[in-house]
Amino acid sequence: MDTSVDMIPENKLKAQKVNVFYAEKQALYDVTLGIDEKSVTSFIGPSGCGKSTFLRCFNRMNDVIPSCRVQGQILLDDVDLNSPKIDPVLLRARIGMVFQKPNPFPKTVYENVAYGPRIHGLAANRQEMDYIVEDSLKKAGLWKEVSDRLNDQATGLSGGQQQRLCIARAIAIGPDVLLMDEPCSALDPIATSIIEELISDLQSRFTILIVTHSMQQAARVSQKTAYFHLGQLIEYGDTKEIFTRPQNEQTEAYISGKIG
Amino acid sequence: MCRANWGSDMNNRSDNTLSSMGVTNLYSATTDTRMAHIEAGLKKRRAASRRLRLYGVAAILTAIGFLCILLTTIISNGYTALQQTEIAVAIEVPANEILDDNGLIDKEKSRNYNWGGLVKRSFRKEFPEVTGMLDQRSLGELLSANAGYDLRIQIEKTGSVESGTNIYWVKASDDVDMLMKGRMDRTIDEKMRRIKDNQLVWFDKIVADGSIRLAFNSTFFTAADSREPESAGVLGAIVGSAMALIVTVMLALPLAVMAAVYLEYFAPPGRLTDFIEVNVNNLAAVPSIVFGLLGLAVFLGFFGMPRSAPLVGGMVLALMTLPTIIIATRASIRAVPTSIRDAALGLGASPMQTALDHVLPLAAPGILTGTIIGIAQALGETAPLIMIGMVAFIVDVPASFTDPATALPVQIFIWSDSAERAFYERSSLAIMALLLFLISMNLTAVLLRRKFEKKW
Repeated sequence: MDTSVDMIPENKLKAQKVNVFYAEKQALYDVTLGIDEKSVTSFIGPSGCGKSTFLRCFNRMNDVIPSCRVQGQILLDDVDLNSPKIDPVLLRARIGMVFQKPNPFPKTVYENVAYGPRIHGLAANRQEMDYIVEDSLKKAGLWKEVSDRLNDQATGLSGGQQQRLCIARAIAIGPDVLLMDEPCSALDPIATSIIEELISDLQSRFTILIVTHSMQQAARVSQKTAYFHLGQLIEYGDTKEIFTRPQNEQTEAYISGKIG
Repeated sequence: MCRANWGSDMNNRSDNTLSSMGVTNLYSATTDTRMAHIEAGLKKRRAASRRLRLYGVAAILTAIGFLCILLTTIISNGYTALQQTEIAVAIEVPANEILDDNGLIDKEKSRNYNWGGLVKRSFRKEFPEVTGMLDQRSLGELLSANAGYDLRIQIEKTGSVESGTNIYWVKASDDVDMLMKGRMDRTIDEKMRRIKDNQLVWFDKIVADGSIRLAFNSTFFTAADSREPESAGVLGAIVGSAMALIVTVMLALPLAVMAAVYLEYFAPPGRLTDFIEVNVNNLAAVPSIVFGLLGLAVFLGFFGMPRSAPLVGGMVLALMTLPTIIIATRASIRAVPTSIRDAALGLGASPMQTALDHVLPLAAPGILTGTIIGIAQALGETAPLIMIGMVAFIVDVPASFTDPATALPVQIFIWSDSAERAFYERSSLAIMALLLFLISMNLTAVLLRRKFEKKW
């Protein structure tokens, strides 16, 4: 895998004819789309439409669910992620994930951020680790709030802070891609707006995929939007286009609040 | 207002088909009728819940009652064993027989000296009126058969002695002990009594002289088993039990935790995994004596390991405890939120790192509880230990894991089966020791649990 940065935004990630099954039930049907590098792409759609399942295909988190089967190709820089040659551990070090509910480890703030770099052996000594922790927390916009509380329990932080800590933890291992599964659904409006600002900041460094229930959020943070319905990708395009001139009736019905 | 509106709404829903079927149609009746009906039923419901609460209280009271009866019986039977009857005997110390040139006691000489004879002779001197051979023998039976040994230990402890006559307290025989504690009825027919009439006369004389006393029975806590109740103690059994349990924990805990982690995280779903799961669950219900038979056949028979050893006992108990800990560990692993597991996996932690770094530490309190339950079960287990020979009569405190030993519950079993009445109270005291052992173990578990428990 070539990690050199290509300055021309082109398809960093590609999904080709992705089908996902939970035992006998099919959750995704032939989803094909390409995702631009260093941009924010949002997946919207009603509950149960398969958008979270699709997101989890990108770092193979569906592997954890025994009944789940994924067919089709997911390409990162034109390498198939589902090929048996790809080690999920290596993959997840390149594609970080932030979950719906803030899930810090019940350890200190410092330990939460340091865990990823430690298991991957990214810091040679304590100074390097300190630097990684500080830098990640700064990038996640949390440093000012926690710099004097690094040794406090992470579970004592507020919900919004916990979620930003989870973002810091994900970026501490230096991934190319960040997957965010409804990162603000458990947060209040103020914490949500802080995270949204953060996402816009992070966009210059990471390719971000975000699943969201809030159409306003999709409109605010993303450049491209994909609308899913009942496991099908209905419409995919520039966020502006989708929200102002949707091509598909179903998309229009959803974003105008008629269904969903 | 509100109620009236609601009622009229409901009244509109009259259901003709139900009425025509002759069913009391409360659904479409007026609000008042319906409420009256519900209220009438409410009384019954309240009574039912009151009754249920009473049943609960009654059940708890019964349980507490039985527990009280159990504890009172054990304590009232056993507390007297904390004391041992001793008789004062004036003994002329055989200083020149046991001292070396430096005036210190020579252990070798002391061991070879006939202390038993000395005690008996000295005791007889206090009863010059007793002359016949038979009478003298019965007189000697008032003292413990091990009185000479006890005297030797007492004197050796002092390091050096001066010649002259001193008063020494030596242990009385178990029958005198029972008589002293009022556990022997002296009014019944002589043939039925273990202390005969002439012995009673001597006993009364000793009591009148004030040369008999009840002293703290330290032997009980410092000695192993003995044929004489007054020389028997539980230390050997406690050490044996502790050794066996150490082996049990060291074997069962790592094996069970690893097995549980594998079954939860790595086992590919399929028939084999299902089969193993069912068997682990069934194993928890296998009678313990079966494990004893297994230990006898495999550990002793096939591998030729030492008989009666705490090592083998611990191994057998570990087999027995294994399923309990596996089940508890799996349950507490499953209780760890999946979000933590996802977080670790999402960071690129391998499944093993996820388990060791995050899941097991969070599951530790539950694992610990399961282990303690398993160990407590193992501590009280008698049958499998009997099968591997830990029921043997062993008079030494075991010094290593391969020494012959017995265990506390087995010791209780042996004593409760003995003819001497003094063993009866000692087995009750040993039960108390077992309970104390158990309580202190559980207490440790609770403290450890508190320490490990993390707050979310």
